[in-house]
Amino acid sequence: MTAAIAVGRTRPRRHALTLLVHQVRYEQLSFWRNPQSAIFTFVFPVVFVVIIGALFGGVSRSSYFGGLSALQYYVPTIAALSVLGSCYGQLAVALAARRQNGILKRVRATPLPAWAYFAGLLAHCVLVSFVDVALIVGVGRLYGVPLPSHWLAIAATLVLGAASFCALGVAVASVISNAEAAPAVAQLVLFPLLFISGTYLPIHFAVLNRIAGWLPVRPFNEALTGPFAQHAGPDWSHLAVLAAWGVVGATVAIRRFRWDPRPE
Amino acid sequence: MPNAIEVTGLRKSYGSVHAVKNVNFTVRRGEIVALLGPNGAGKTTTLEILEGFRVRDEGSAVVLGYDPNDRSHARELRERTGLVLQDIAVEPYLTVRETVARSAGYYSAARDVGEIITPVGLNGQERRKVRTLSGGQKRRLDLALGLIGNPELLYLDEPTTGFDPAARRDAWELVRQLRASGTTVLLTTHDMDEAQALADRVVVLSAGLVVAAGPPAVLGGRDRARARITFALPDCGAISDLPLPGIEQNGAVVVETANPTLALSELTAWAMRRGTELAGLAVERPSLEDVYLQLTHESANTSAPERSTR
Repeated sequence: MTAAIAVGRTRPRRHALTLLVHQVRYEQLSFWRNPQSAIFTFVFPVVFVVIIGALFGGVSRSSYFGGLSALQYYVPTIAALSVLGSCYGQLAVALAARRQNGILKRVRATPLPAWAYFAGLLAHCVLVSFVDVALIVGVGRLYGVPLPSHWLAIAATLVLGAASFCALGVAVASVISNAEAAPAVAQLVLFPLLFISGTYLPIHFAVLNRIAGWLPVRPFNEALTGPFAQHAGPDWSHLAVLAAWGVVGATVAIRRFRWDPRPE
Repeated sequence: MPNAIEVTGLRKSYGSVHAVKNVNFTVRRGEIVALLGPNGAGKTTTLEILEGFRVRDEGSAVVLGYDPNDRSHARELRERTGLVLQDIAVEPYLTVRETVARSAGYYSAARDVGEIITPVGLNGQERRKVRTLSGGQKRRLDLALGLIGNPELLYLDEPTTGFDPAARRDAWELVRQLRASGTTVLLTTHDMDEAQALADRVVVLSAGLVVAAGPPAVLGGRDRARARITFALPDCGAISDLPLPGIEQNGAVVVETANPTLALSELTAWAMRRGTELAGLAVERPSLEDVYLQLTHESANTSAPERSTR
């Protein structure tokens, strides 16, 4: 064992970018090392598209699906759902569990800044979202859904959506206090929101659509449906609502997030 | 050289529970200090205030020259301190080596990963997944994570709980090596042998107060306490035949004396004259545990018992 560093000397900090790359790398490693979690993250959306394809594969363009074919409608909403699942749902549950078993406290005891820890999580969520969406688009192609043309708009929407739902996921993890309750709380919030936002079925009820338009899920669905199915560019007004929810989530997270399993 | 830790008038309450009422102590650089005390005495709360996890209500705390609650120095302090927590907290799917390497990447002056795995006794286990390790091996990994940043100050919260006796000896040796290289250590333990073996000084907490502090050898005046000479009464004699007054206790004779050298000489001379053996002859002074139990018992009787904060 070597001698200790000179006592009392101020130590330099690791460069922010070095820390970030390091954290992203190990966050990825932790994820891929748990094969069950990795497989289910990617199998779930694929299975979902396959089921929808089997049920509605033959339904062509109709006013019920807003002038789209059933699968043109469902590919973007399932893409949104997969982003919600990995960024909001899984993140809230994983953070609550990591806090409860003391992993977060141990991280907090190291010089890793909080921003780098969360940036590692966000990078992971963005990556998973891109893989999920690519899989969904691929399976949709097998059912004859045309490939989208505005890839840049889709990428920008996915990054913004992943960031906003990550912020909301961290916010929910900040508010709930025990890991056992985390999946139930996360689902309780998400499930009704998915229904009224048209994820499972198109909503033809103007008042409900207007309300859902101010909540986070419907704007995300809409912002993806445009570039996916309608050959439209970025949908700024819906992205603005989504970003606003991201700011709300981040504010709650910054104020309320705890690293320590035991409250004050 | 300034002290590594200075704690003055520290107070912390959780609602109506006064976990820490008035705690004062210092830890000099390069020293090993053990915080002792029953569950709920305030050890963990004190440690968590110093580590920056909890905010004190009153008093002052200075760690390596900084206030642990001052967020502008938090990162600097974390660079220079290491923690080994009571709860095992490592992600299950990484290997031992990956887990240590991940932590190493957080510090600017980290030790070499290979260089830390051997001293904690995990050599040969580098490629094993953390979830396949035994409880004792996970504790060793925890120790490695506490040391990887090459800390000037190391907090050890019951570091050898769950270790087998050989592993415990190895861990003690490691802590002694750290002291030899200039590392300051503040540890909590319920194991009086551990405090005796490692600590330069011990601080005994009870019900949120410091009830005694000092080197383990002299704590509570145990170096000046009367020695107890014990032996089995020989068949050929009665207790009244002894040259010194003794009492019979659990089938053995106990002679208390302030001058054990002279007393032993008289007793052994008496036995030799009679051609007999003093079976099980032993000289004892109060152990650290005896003194500790007495100190914490006394203070527990003078104040209401506190609810454990853990």
